[in-house]
Amino acid sequence: MTNQYTYKTAFILLFIVLLCCFIINISLGSVSIPLEGVFNSFFGTSTNESWRYIIQNYRLPKAITAVLVGSGLGVSGLLMQTLFRNPLAGPFVLGISSGASLGVALVILGSGLFGGAFAVLLTSKWSVVIAASLGSFLVLLSVLIVSSRVRDTMAILIIGLMFASITGAIVGVLSYFSSAAQLQRYVFWGFGSLGNLSWQEILVFSGIYTLGLILSIASVKALNTLLLGDNYAKSLGLNLKRSRLFIIVATSLLAGTITAFAGPIAFIGLAIPHLTRLVFNTSNHKILLPAVILFGSVIMLICDTIAQIPNSDYTLPINAITSLVGAPIVIWLLVRKRNLMF
Amino acid sequence: MKIIQLKSLLLVLFICTFSCKQETKTTKEIKEKGVALNLKHAKGFAVKTFKNYKVLEIFSPWPNADQSYTYALVDRTKLEDITLNSDEFDAVIPIPIQRIVVTSTTHLPGLELLEEDQKLVGFPGTQYVSSENIRTRIDNNEVRELGKNEGVNTEVVLELRPDVVIAFGIDGNNSTMETIKNANIPVIYNGDWVEDSPLAKAEWIKFFGVLFNKETQAETVYNSIETEYLKAKTLAEQVEEKPSVFSGAMYKDVWYMPNGTSSEAQLLKDANANYLWKNTKGAGSLALNFETVFNTAKAAKIWINPSIYRSYKELESANAHYTKFDAFKHKNIYSMSNTKGATGGVLYYELGQARPDLVLKDLIKICHPELLQDYDLFFFKKLN
Repeated sequence: MTNQYTYKTAFILLFIVLLCCFIINISLGSVSIPLEGVFNSFFGTSTNESWRYIIQNYRLPKAITAVLVGSGLGVSGLLMQTLFRNPLAGPFVLGISSGASLGVALVILGSGLFGGAFAVLLTSKWSVVIAASLGSFLVLLSVLIVSSRVRDTMAILIIGLMFASITGAIVGVLSYFSSAAQLQRYVFWGFGSLGNLSWQEILVFSGIYTLGLILSIASVKALNTLLLGDNYAKSLGLNLKRSRLFIIVATSLLAGTITAFAGPIAFIGLAIPHLTRLVFNTSNHKILLPAVILFGSVIMLICDTIAQIPNSDYTLPINAITSLVGAPIVIWLLVRKRNLMF
Repeated sequence: MKIIQLKSLLLVLFICTFSCKQETKTTKEIKEKGVALNLKHAKGFAVKTFKNYKVLEIFSPWPNADQSYTYALVDRTKLEDITLNSDEFDAVIPIPIQRIVVTSTTHLPGLELLEEDQKLVGFPGTQYVSSENIRTRIDNNEVRELGKNEGVNTEVVLELRPDVVIAFGIDGNNSTMETIKNANIPVIYNGDWVEDSPLAKAEWIKFFGVLFNKETQAETVYNSIETEYLKAKTLAEQVEEKPSVFSGAMYKDVWYMPNGTSSEAQLLKDANANYLWKNTKGAGSLALNFETVFNTAKAAKIWINPSIYRSYKELESANAHYTKFDAFKHKNIYSMSNTKGATGGVLYYELGQARPDLVLKDLIKICHPELLQDYDLFFFKKLN
């Protein structure tokens, strides 16, 4: 793919695929609803109240969440891979997910250690969301403060990993003192989940998501320059510190809010940028960024459709599916291409 | 030379075979002569009483267990006079038990109903205990805290030196209990929770009866529970209308629903209710997704036990989907989470298994309010 037209065609195709995936995702689920019923329920003309509720208030929010999560993680993964020039970097390298895990662990498992006061928090949905956001924000803030004192971008990466270890240890202690039911809740949070977001939550989610996306788009030029190396970027007049801060804040807004609402979704953030690079054969972020948004949404919708196991009463954790489906695809693509586009 | 070798080999083989046979024969003879404890429903354990001792066998300490445990229970006064082949038993335990450690709140009613709760010397997670008598003993420091959950503090147990530790295991891998066993403190795995019917679970009081030499009292207690249970069941059968019932709530995307072969489903059946998942099978709970549950149970009349939620407001703030069920709209949700002991332990988790008669009466009262007019709900309460 080299010229503008080919990119245009590719984007149009991808967009059509996204629409198809969205419709398929809404049409399939545990409860078997015929296509006509799906459309009637969608437009509110169905006489079956249960179907109408399932489509409008369960499947539709879930599909929208899948789009937000897939695209947001893809974008934040791309930003991190470019910032650290490391193909193994993902949206969570800065300790965002471990920070969120710590926040959630304090709410869910804290009652084991701190007594009943925390039990009240357990039953509210927002408490987990707020705890995850606060947790990831605080860990990120610590990383930022420490990283403002270091020049080397790689040092930030290591600092992020160290913070992840610290929070992991605290979560371990909390887990040790928790009851089976609390552990189950925490483990389930770790599986990730796209369902069960109310419209109100989706509104908040998409608001923060949009903010993160605007910052990402604003950083496209800086990202392209960063690919040339820190020193070269500086010589081109890029304010390295400010760009770094912008990129980190954009990532934290995206990855932090996704983790807060959907849990720590694995793999997508790491794999989608690679997939996109392999397919589009470019490292230009003007192309990569919108492509990652489309790709991430499509893959996440497909994963969710599989996780719902259409027409069965059961459902699988989304995290298992993202890795199970995603990893082989990336391996296959790499083997075909024989080298990593990076 | 070779012939001599062959002969001696044959001789050794013959002796081995003969002695093995001899041993199994004596074991068999011993086992055949004992008097078996009368058990109507419980399948997970058996007791045989011999002249000087009893043999307790635990067949299913955990689901699908491929090993069973055999214990010799010897009267304290006769310990000196008896020789037992200790290889035949997992432990030789002097009875009646003077000092006991139990590890699950479900074990506590067994002690209390037999008036042996003063023998309890340690418990992991004492804050979950609801029984007033045992709470008093905990407050007086007569029952040691053994740590949280399954992580029983081995050192404290070793220091307490109980006659026996009653454990429970989800499988055979429990290193803590192995350490305790190695310190010559007998560990018995209680498999009451593996039983498949409420009455079978309740019959494990006889297991505690044997440990305290109180078989007769245990029999009496169990019989009265069984009689009450069956009486209530017969009463419920007279009603024509079966209200539809569903249970549980969601963990993230997964709605846990008791399967049709579970004790919960059995209790609902005996309460003459139409449990909407009564035809399902399997081990453990069903992990369903919201769509399925909503489609099946939206119009159900009664919702039982919505997980940890204690009020309609909590349910609503946890997930707006809950409010769309008819049972929510008509305020027909009952939970046992609101009936707690002094320190917050849910009473149902302690006493529910030992008193299925009370659980059944609760369910009958909920499903058929016209019956049991004078009965007040014991475990379940309407949501606040």
